[in-house]
Amino acid sequence: MKILQQEQMREATDDVIQSVELSVQGLSLGLSGKPILKAISCQLFHTGITSLIGPSGAGKSSLLRCLNMLYDDWQGEIAIEGKSIRAWQGGVDALRQHVGLIAQKPAVFPVSIYENVIFGMPKKARKQNQDAWVEQCLKQAALWDEVKARLHEPASALSIGQQQRLCLARALALKPKILLLDEPTASLDPRSKQLIEASLHQLSASITVLCVTHDLEQAQRLQGQVIFMCDGKVIESGDADAFFQHPERMETREFLRWSVCDCD
Amino acid sequence: MKAVIIIVALPALFLPLGCLLYIFMQGWSALSWDLLWHGSGSGVGMAMQAIWPQILGSLLMMLLACMMAAPIALALALFSALWASGKQKYGLMVFLQTLQGIPPIVYGLCGLVVMVHLLHWGISLMAGGVILAVVILPLLSSNMIHALERIPAEQSESAQALGLRVEGLVWRVWMPQAWKGMLTGLLLGMARSLSETAPILFTATVFSGVMWPDSIFSPVTSLQTHIFYLAQEGSNAYAIDVAWASAVVLLGLILLFSLTANWLRRIEVKA
Repeated sequence: MKILQQEQMREATDDVIQSVELSVQGLSLGLSGKPILKAISCQLFHTGITSLIGPSGAGKSSLLRCLNMLYDDWQGEIAIEGKSIRAWQGGVDALRQHVGLIAQKPAVFPVSIYENVIFGMPKKARKQNQDAWVEQCLKQAALWDEVKARLHEPASALSIGQQQRLCLARALALKPKILLLDEPTASLDPRSKQLIEASLHQLSASITVLCVTHDLEQAQRLQGQVIFMCDGKVIESGDADAFFQHPERMETREFLRWSVCDCD
Repeated sequence: MKAVIIIVALPALFLPLGCLLYIFMQGWSALSWDLLWHGSGSGVGMAMQAIWPQILGSLLMMLLACMMAAPIALALALFSALWASGKQKYGLMVFLQTLQGIPPIVYGLCGLVVMVHLLHWGISLMAGGVILAVVILPLLSSNMIHALERIPAEQSESAQALGLRVEGLVWRVWMPQAWKGMLTGLLLGMARSLSETAPILFTATVFSGVMWPDSIFSPVTSLQTHIFYLAQEGSNAYAIDVAWASAVVLLGLILLFSLTANWLRRIEVKA
């Protein structure tokens, strides 16, 4: 009986370990001599959405850039499925295809909508017919209906909201396991915001989504997990419902109430 | 107030325009097919010769200078965009601006001492090409740096976030957008190299006895120095006429490159 219980406990522990998609341990980063991230530790679970909230200058965007190795001068450990991203098989380029990043300001390339979607794919794949895949990615990004008749027109002709969804489709075309979004709806109209949130909900069923947002209502709508950062540190994290209804830390309560945080 | 400013500003437009008009009026009547290709029997010395060797000599030196300077300028621009820190970028721009202010005659003197004498290249097309490359390098470099700087930083970050390597970033994101600006810089560099006389006076050109350089280490003739020589023959009216005609040809070439560069810049801005 005791052995059976131990076996069940070990299996349960294994499940928890397996479900951790990304773990950050003691991550520190300095830029121009200024500490930006201060020994951060956090975990993202396999699939689902995690909202990363906090005041401006908390280090949220910097954390995303570390996870994608756009910033590589950090100390600590970042591991995906237990493998350190510093020793990622295939190098940084392969890691960046595994961990997609979408910036706050949409940056489409001066080519057609179709070419934008396949832009990050390897040369060999780009030469092949990708019509079905492009359609699927654009559908996942809730953009297909609006652009299906003009796939070969310049992407720059799209509205900002459409361009942001095109960036989402472009990242999805690489089949990432983790998707990092840096305030993806910050400058968008309510309709585009709604479409992107709906897409993220759908995507979170199959991939891990980490979304930086200043919009606390958006973080509540996205549900999932919440990580609250302030002054380069993780202050509190947990399930969204519990986080917003019963925050444990005083700094969190202050931030949720006044949108300010004094963590010093 | 507006009228006063306009009146004070007008010379900026009319003085160069007046000079250009005067040169064209003086040179146009002396310019002929014969002068370009066959020369004339009516002049004395250099004035008798056709000016095609001078045109070709100038173009050869210009091409050589651009072929040498363009890859270096591109490499400098790419280094600045890819790896240079903010301080390094600032230092580089200050350095390039300072280089542009150095009088061309100083470059000519340096070329004479180093290339002609120390390296034993002699007065040659090679020495002229290298020294012109040095003269236009700051102009080319700063144009190429600016062409890359105009590309939104978000695009570069997005391309890197997609896993593009440096080669992919450069060839698939930067070059398709920056080539017009770079070509504009190159054309301005060509115009600049055609307008320089002092650096090649000591290093590359001779006044007579040369039609076409036998090798890259042979002397060459050029329109710029041809005009310089003919202008010194003040007593020979025909020589002065040929000098005006040569000036018109030279100006025509420079305007061709400058106007093409401006046209490209307009297209780039519209895009």
